[in-house]
Amino acid sequence: MARMKFLCDAERCIECNGCVTACKSEHDIPWGVNRRRVVTLNDGVPGEKSISVACMHCSDAPCMAVCPVDCFYQTSEGIVLHDKDLCIGCGYCFYACPFGAPQFPQDGAFGLRGKMDKCTFCAGGPEADNSEAEYKKYGRNRLAEGKLPACAEMCSTKALLGGDADVISDIYRNRVMKRGKGSEVWGWGTAYGKPDAKPATPPGAKS
Amino acid sequence: MSRPFLCERLMPVVGILVALVFSPIVHAADAGRAQEQAQRQQTQPGNNAPMWRDVRGGVKQTTQVRGVETNVLMQPSGQSWREVRPPMSLAGGLLIAAALLALFAFYQWRGPIGVHEAGTGKLIKRFSDAERLTHWTVAISVCILAVTGLILSFGKYMLLPIIGYTLFSWLAMFAKNLHNFVAPVFFFMLPVMIVLFVRDNLPGPGDLKWLLTFGGMFSKSGHETPSGRFNMGEKALFWFMVCALGVVLCLSGAVMLFPNFDQGRQIMQSANIVHVISALVMIFAASFHIYLGTVGQRGAYEGMRTGYVDETWAKEHHQLWYDQVKAGHARQHFADDAPDAVRAQVADGLKA
Repeated sequence: MARMKFLCDAERCIECNGCVTACKSEHDIPWGVNRRRVVTLNDGVPGEKSISVACMHCSDAPCMAVCPVDCFYQTSEGIVLHDKDLCIGCGYCFYACPFGAPQFPQDGAFGLRGKMDKCTFCAGGPEADNSEAEYKKYGRNRLAEGKLPACAEMCSTKALLGGDADVISDIYRNRVMKRGKGSEVWGWGTAYGKPDAKPATPPGAKS
Repeated sequence: MSRPFLCERLMPVVGILVALVFSPIVHAADAGRAQEQAQRQQTQPGNNAPMWRDVRGGVKQTTQVRGVETNVLMQPSGQSWREVRPPMSLAGGLLIAAALLALFAFYQWRGPIGVHEAGTGKLIKRFSDAERLTHWTVAISVCILAVTGLILSFGKYMLLPIIGYTLFSWLAMFAKNLHNFVAPVFFFMLPVMIVLFVRDNLPGPGDLKWLLTFGGMFSKSGHETPSGRFNMGEKALFWFMVCALGVVLCLSGAVMLFPNFDQGRQIMQSANIVHVISALVMIFAASFHIYLGTVGQRGAYEGMRTGYVDETWAKEHHQLWYDQVKAGHARQHFADDAPDAVRAQVADGLKA
């Protein structure tokens, strides 16, 4: 059985936010809720990197552990899903999640939380596959249609990969091995030093 | 996006306070790492180790998505919160269970504390109407908050396996909403209670002796150590439970109740930990108060229910206060105008 995973290649992501848009349009997500976002690290500094992040479908998911009504479940493919009929909108999953994946549509005054919404890996919810009820609560169930998550499919530079962990890590491994040439190759600096003969790395640093 | 005026003014202040605690370290690291990352790209292209260290540290970055802390790629404190909470709840749950067991054992051993002489039928107005209204508003709201809070904390382990997912989810939803809407009642009545009761809870003569003898609870004669209007046990309860824990509960609860002030997750996690610990200690302490105020002592419940106590009850449980009332020095007086229904109720409460 496949183990579904997202992988974002920081060398390829160009912060176009296409994945965010694809997700919003695919699932008809309301205003104020973003199941996926792109974070740029060291924005404006040479070497800045962007990474697209959503629910990472953890094996030992903190949201599942802290939910007071136990509304989360994990599919046989490792996708972490939740039952909105059980969710009480307490926000504990939002406290616990390292990635900020759980989203809460505002429901009433004083920021009262509605039912939690998060990335489903385009796998819907507990309702019947592709049913009207499932679409309304969780968005499209693309996996049931034999498709991969919309964000990864839409990614213009194929930085965001989504699918079976074995397959996408093979793709990523291939990229890393073949990326760049000469001194740009990953690990070159450690192995051979820089072309200008200066010691490339301080002793003990890894490349 | 328009927000209430108050929060626009207040939140920067809170934000600055929080930032003052954390920012010097974060910002120094931020600039250092960004520079390190830039340098690393020159010497070792493709090695993003400095950037990943930032990610693991939960440093604020840049994003186009608007929202609370959307610019933090990973927050490491959530895992700590997740690991701290369950053992803490378990310890608190065991503490409450132990308290209930101890009270049950004590009741079996000692039974209700009665009065040694018969009631005289002469009543003293012990609590004013304002005091009773405040006491019962706080008492009832605390009971509702405690029960709903316990459902949310322990229901997953104790109720869910019995009543099932659908029913428990409905119950938890009800508990959450009740908790959130009763909380403001507690929030606004607590200061009133503190103001009304603080005067007679200040340290007074007899307190130390009462404390050293445990109020005479274990004395052979069964007589209580003389005390003022409130004994040392009640005073401890007032200062510890009402003034300290009550205020902490209100403040930590407000942090979690109003996510619309855009506070971060770290402050909410801390608030949750503080709220759970103080709530469990509060329930622990309150169970002793409720025990003594209901089944544990004859005449106590009627005293707060009606506001009147029998002369004998006052003499045996609060002798110093009784002497003051008799001498006319206390603010409470003998009430000869008490209605007959109240007289019957008070007399009934004293009966074994």
